[in-house]
Amino acid sequence: MLLRIKKHPIIDFKDSERISFYFNDTKLHGFKGDSIASALHAAGIKKLTTSLKYDRPRGFFCGIGKCSSCLMKVNKVPNVRTCIAPLNNGIRVETQEKLADWPDVEFKSKSKETANVDILVVGAGPAGLCASLEAAGQGASVLLVDENQTVGGQLVKQTHKFFGSKQEKAGTRGIQIAIDLENDLKKFEQNGKIKVMMDSTAIGYYEGDKEKQHKFAVVKREVYENTLYEVNCRAAIFACGAMENMLLFPGNDLPGVYGAGAVQTLMNVFGVKPGKKVIMVGAGNVGLIVSYQLLQAGIEVDRVVEAMPQIGGYHVHAAKLRRCGVPILTSHSIKEVYGNGKVEGAVIVKLDNNWQPVKGSEEKINCDTICLAVGLTPSTRFLYQVGAEMEFIPEAGGYVALHDDSMHTTIKGIYVAGDSSGIEEASTAMIEGKIAGLSAAISLGYKKKGDSSLKKQHMGELDRLRAGPFGEKPRIGKHKISKLLGKRHV
Amino acid sequence: MKSKTDVVIIGGGVTGCSLAYMLAKKGIDVVVAEKNYLSSGATGACGAGIRQQWSTKENTELAIKSIKIFESLSTKLGQDIELRQGGYLIAVHDAKEMRQAEKNVNMQRSLGLKVDILDSDEINDVVPVLDVKGMAAVGATFCPTDGHANPFKTTFAYANAARKKGAEIYTHTKVTDIKTINKKISAVKTGKGIIKTNTVVNAAGVWSKKIAEMVDIKLPNVPFRKEILATERLKPMFEAMVISFKDGIYFSQQEEGHIVGGIPIPREKKGYKTMPTFSFIQHMSKTLTRYVPQLKHINMLRHWTGFYDVTPDARPILGEIKELKGFIQCNGFSGHGFMLSPIVSQILSDFITDGKTSKILESLNVNRFKGKKIDHEMYVVG
Repeated sequence: MLLRIKKHPIIDFKDSERISFYFNDTKLHGFKGDSIASALHAAGIKKLTTSLKYDRPRGFFCGIGKCSSCLMKVNKVPNVRTCIAPLNNGIRVETQEKLADWPDVEFKSKSKETANVDILVVGAGPAGLCASLEAAGQGASVLLVDENQTVGGQLVKQTHKFFGSKQEKAGTRGIQIAIDLENDLKKFEQNGKIKVMMDSTAIGYYEGDKEKQHKFAVVKREVYENTLYEVNCRAAIFACGAMENMLLFPGNDLPGVYGAGAVQTLMNVFGVKPGKKVIMVGAGNVGLIVSYQLLQAGIEVDRVVEAMPQIGGYHVHAAKLRRCGVPILTSHSIKEVYGNGKVEGAVIVKLDNNWQPVKGSEEKINCDTICLAVGLTPSTRFLYQVGAEMEFIPEAGGYVALHDDSMHTTIKGIYVAGDSSGIEEASTAMIEGKIAGLSAAISLGYKKKGDSSLKKQHMGELDRLRAGPFGEKPRIGKHKISKLLGKRHV
Repeated sequence: MKSKTDVVIIGGGVTGCSLAYMLAKKGIDVVVAEKNYLSSGATGACGAGIRQQWSTKENTELAIKSIKIFESLSTKLGQDIELRQGGYLIAVHDAKEMRQAEKNVNMQRSLGLKVDILDSDEINDVVPVLDVKGMAAVGATFCPTDGHANPFKTTFAYANAARKKGAEIYTHTKVTDIKTINKKISAVKTGKGIIKTNTVVNAAGVWSKKIAEMVDIKLPNVPFRKEILATERLKPMFEAMVISFKDGIYFSQQEEGHIVGGIPIPREKKGYKTMPTFSFIQHMSKTLTRYVPQLKHINMLRHWTGFYDVTPDARPILGEIKELKGFIQCNGFSGHGFMLSPIVSQILSDFITDGKTSKILESLNVNRFKGKKIDHEMYVVG
């Protein structure tokens, strides 16, 4: 229990119901609300599986169900993503030796269900929640699907106060915004306008039965019994978020090397310390904020290293860290991570003007956790399958679906919002979600007085948030997207 | 791009690339024009099975010869094509099917092929994960030398070997027109320029029909969308390809652990359709888990579509068109192009270089459809 956070200045980790489970025949305890991986981590178990080719130990990296390095056998069912699977009483969790054994347990078959709705929203983060609320507010029926146990996406771990304008919840903590949005959502769930399916995955796009109809498959997981849903809708909004980038260096796959988001999830959602001593790689806003949050959770941050010659994030976040005595080393990077089966230390190196390591500048540091905050890549695989035109926009974080200012892609009725439309932040994701939700509902005939001024208001808000030097990158990204779209569709 | 060549092959699938290799090896100046990337059509989407168990003598003979070539292909081309001869297990569901199977096996054995007839209780010796009751099998036939290979690696290996012998392969190069003079081929127009030639091989798979229309030739081929899925990876448990003509299903386990297989889409109509269907996942998962109940716990990982270029007798169209000199067909493989590509390219390259024809080549000419009774291949799955 050493790794459970006892005291926290912002989050009150109330004692919840104690749950017992088995890990390879050893009885362990966790708490209700834990994921399997967070409970294992709190019990000191970081190695979850082994790599297929070279038999190397693997722990989780992303912590949000995207990287698949946490696959384990649960109640004899193989390949369960333990970072998002809930911890239940009495379950048996086992490590898989490379490829999984064939399961030999009963499976209760369930028949297919059908859901016919106006709009399918994939992803219940800030963008997807706002899209659902806005569309339902117009009168459209919405099905909101998300892989996690709770709504809010990455908001549920953002303990810091948001910037921007009052309207977009400036001064409010991310975790509170998630609660506010969830309360709004409940009202629509009660009146039946929004149906929420958590612990569910939208798995594919299929040929529709008729014109102007989109067909998707969604799998709802229920205590390891799944139900296949056929979802017919007239519009769909993809708010699938993003994946954390990996950095190449020897030892980058050792358990103890995490994405910054994964560290945030462990600490701020599950109340579990990722380790005792951390090196943060990347001094953008994510790296700076998560470093501070690590300190809040009582974890030592040895230093922040940043390959760029200057700090990428807000000055105020950097200043807070420095006041706490955490050095931020610019023009520095990680050279390698070492350890026997888990992270035991790292070698840090200075970079010259050409990004090359300066010989002799290597410094060996003992630590048990490496946190990578080196950017995000939009989650866009679904948009490829739907057939939307994709383009590589470096300022947007990678390949994104071309979209207009209503967040509409090149496929009729398919919208995109938030990080999956270009990496930005939660405030802008919320507004993009509102615009997408509003536009989709209006296109289906759910019109109200004042719609056009509302849309204008959202767009103005987006422009204001993107003004200033920190909005430059997304501004350029979005400009390129609309320019490319114009070229193709004039 | 070249302005002149001996032969232009339209289509950079496995057949086009293997023919390019065979021709280049014989010193023929050859160009491949592929509108997308190599193996981007049916080749890259296929189940990659290679079998010799057929119901017609002609197909069995062709397939036996094809396997022989496959067996030494990695060495010949200097690149591993991942051939694995785990056999094909063909499920037999009733007495009538068994009579047909016995007839076929006799014919296959007469050609020197080793094929076993299995009782229902022998099926699990070959594929332990099968639920013989669930699949309602009374027996099976099994040919241990059938198998599969990697369609991408095979195509690339052929293409690389062809290039080494001097063939030029142009990807992302769409053929827009074919020019003729006095009922003879004179040139091929592409998006990247015109190439003068007297010989064009139409190996464009399901788009061969469109290519033929450029010179006012009507092919009887019909495009059918087909679907395949791949599951999560599991410990390798069986090497054979399992198929059933009654259920239309085929599946095998790849070396990396995925189960890969397909089944015909219920009530599918012809057409150039590429979007996957919801009914396929339901139909496939129901049938697959009837055959292998343990897969009920296993997630589908991917699902994609490809095409069968289907002819009226489910056999390929090969050889020169009578009405247009120099226009050679190499299409209509009806779902079996990958497994036949080595032998077909050998037959066609003999014809193109020496004018050498054979009984089999004559029997596969498009003329066979003109007012004649068709000998239909019955052994088609997927």
